[in-house]
Amino acid sequence: MSPLRRFLLAPEAIAGAIILVALFAMALTASLFFPGDPQAIAGPALLPPFQDWSLPLGTDRLGRDVLAELFHGARTSLVVGLAAAAAALAVGAIVGTLAGFAGGLVDEVLMRITDAFQTVPSFLLALAFVSVVGPSLGVVVTAIALGAWTGPARVARAEVLSIRERDFVAGARVIGMHPLEIAFREVLPNALPAVLALSSVIVAAAILTEAALSFLGLGDPNRVTWGGMIAEGRAVLRTAPFLSIIPGVALVLTVLGVYLAGEGVVETTAVRRSLS
Amino acid sequence: MSNVTISRRTVLAGSALLLASTALPTIGWAQTPKKGGRLVVAADSEPRNLNPAIVASNGVFFISSKIVETLAEASFDGKDGLDPRLATSWEGAADGLSVTFKLREGVKWHDGKPFTSADVAFSALQIWKPLQNLGRTVFKDLEAVDTPDELTAVFKFAKPTPFQLIRNALPALSSVVPKHIYETGKIDENPANNAPVGTGPFKFVEHKSGEYYRLEKNADYWVKNQPYLDEIIYQVLPDRTSAASALEAEEIQLAAFSAVPLADLDRISKVPGLKVVTKGYEGLTYQLVVEINHRRRELADLKVRQAIVHAIDKDFVVKTVFLGYAATATGPVPKNDPQFYTADVPTYAFDVAKANALLDEAGYNKGDDGKRFSLKLLPAPYFNETKQFGDYLRQALAAIGIDAQLVNNDSAAHIKAVYTDHAFDLAVGPPVFRGDPAISTTILVQSGIPDGVPFSNQGGYKNDELDALIAKASETLDPAARTELYREFQRQVATDLPLINVAEWSFISVIKDTVANVANNPRWAVSNWADTWLET
Repeated sequence: MSPLRRFLLAPEAIAGAIILVALFAMALTASLFFPGDPQAIAGPALLPPFQDWSLPLGTDRLGRDVLAELFHGARTSLVVGLAAAAAALAVGAIVGTLAGFAGGLVDEVLMRITDAFQTVPSFLLALAFVSVVGPSLGVVVTAIALGAWTGPARVARAEVLSIRERDFVAGARVIGMHPLEIAFREVLPNALPAVLALSSVIVAAAILTEAALSFLGLGDPNRVTWGGMIAEGRAVLRTAPFLSIIPGVALVLTVLGVYLAGEGVVETTAVRRSLS
Repeated sequence: MSNVTISRRTVLAGSALLLASTALPTIGWAQTPKKGGRLVVAADSEPRNLNPAIVASNGVFFISSKIVETLAEASFDGKDGLDPRLATSWEGAADGLSVTFKLREGVKWHDGKPFTSADVAFSALQIWKPLQNLGRTVFKDLEAVDTPDELTAVFKFAKPTPFQLIRNALPALSSVVPKHIYETGKIDENPANNAPVGTGPFKFVEHKSGEYYRLEKNADYWVKNQPYLDEIIYQVLPDRTSAASALEAEEIQLAAFSAVPLADLDRISKVPGLKVVTKGYEGLTYQLVVEINHRRRELADLKVRQAIVHAIDKDFVVKTVFLGYAATATGPVPKNDPQFYTADVPTYAFDVAKANALLDEAGYNKGDDGKRFSLKLLPAPYFNETKQFGDYLRQALAAIGIDAQLVNNDSAAHIKAVYTDHAFDLAVGPPVFRGDPAISTTILVQSGIPDGVPFSNQGGYKNDELDALIAKASETLDPAARTELYREFQRQVATDLPLINVAEWSFISVIKDTVANVANNPRWAVSNWADTWLET
């Protein structure tokens, strides 16, 4: 059975994939369906959903189109989630490979730094970082990656420790390759699958962290974010609950979708590896 | 003068003053107050310093005004808008160099010691003038306080100081604290700053951090048979959404200072047993102001500032951001001020086409992307409404081709960015009008204020004519001439636009209908509540 077929046979994986595809579609078509600024005032304030079909999900306290905000918010969530996860995985893989391959003092130093980062709750770290540097998209991505790279670093190191003892590594040494070249061209690619298996968890966590930061008013105020929408809606929770519920549901579905699809991919590749 | 006062009062949106002055006597003789009971009130913050003589702010007054009294309190129908408290009369000398206060007889501090003129002299010279946030300006020329006898205090000023200003400052700035407690040790480290001792109708009992403040009836209060309540509990509820549910669950009986979000008021006004009260805050008007950094070349151009005013739909702001619980502003003095307000100022209608034309005229043409230039916009984080107005202003500016980038900060970072580092182009601020423009309003446009003074002109604006006008008003003794100078001040500010006044608002209380005698003065939430009682 091909991995793709195996993937397609798992119902959770399919559900996850469908949600993800929908999310990407929303993010990619946001500017197409809702050109211009999604934060522009489009109608009367606090219009409930399904009343006016030009504003199908209603409007918020200033009269902004909730559907437009939802589409553009999907973009922010995905950008932040993917960028933060990519940064965390890259940093983690590099640090882990260096530590595992070099061993000795370098290993000690790098792993103690990793420990230090790991002992601070990652959300607190992000919170502190953003409130010191000031909220903007790049800062939020950095802040989230700052707390997320330790997991990949530990996994990468563990993998590298076993891979570096293999024969092909010894062979590379014998033919005189530079140690850094061996580490990053021979060892890292082989350690990568295990590290990438973490990606779904990290993306999901990054999206949630971004939402939490925005909810606390530490997101980029010039972009629509789902967390920001929930925070805005909180003041009118009793009179217009849809303002918090709609982005909340979108957030739950997204995190669920990323996680299910990620699990599906990991499982199918894991089976393939064990078969080979 | 009194004729003017009455005509100004009718201007007030909702005619709150008139309603109050006609309704209150009715309540007075229709029902006899019942004694006893406990009033539970929502408190949204726990001030670090509860001494109102040092920190003259509404958050502190809300609790401490029941314990520590002022020389006079604001009043709807008293002479000059004042009701006597610790002082029974006050008179200014014709040369503006002295003010004589006659003090109330038989008043005792909560620890039993008698209240005398020495306490007033000590509070004024040792606390109000050197330490108090507002007193530093108003009492800057106070040289000495003579105490010819125990019940007379004569304030001596080095330079002529308008009596009208001192009078207007009494309700907020004249909290009297006991000399015998504060004279030893450092004033700002005195334990009484956290457990105040005063002459008021209630005594401070305890504060459990994060839980409550408890005040207890002062049986020796100088008004016979008052206070009516046995106890006031301030339940600490920092979350704005929890006050409404606490009211509905009957855990609290009063949520003042708009602790219930505006959007919830419509719903909560229909809950049986609860009433929404908009009165009782007339003396605490907040102004929604766009602060402008005149160091920016574009913003130093009057045409650009005019364009920005024309781009703001003030009615939309009042209707949508404040849900109608506000009034549009015309200038730096709010419409509900009975003494100084004038409507005779240049006004700017909401007109996007005109705003665009003005910007074209000023030479800032739209680029290919429809943008003329970019600005940094810092909305103050203190109120939901200031933040929301920031969101609105960004959109309003986008409509005229100005790209505003929002920068959100917490309170401390906002104050530093705007008032110390000047790292803003536009800022949204909520200054307070305190009954006289000289207390905290002229400072918003006056030049020469050192960096770092919060809620002052930190936008680099300098207008010699306006500075001269402010200086002249500060030493003009005749109330009529002084009032006229402040009307001219309003005209000049509205003409040259050192800042933009968008709206003015006050707070809303949600109160259980068994609480009687509420909102009966213009600073009710921060007054002493001696006459408040509970129906059972």
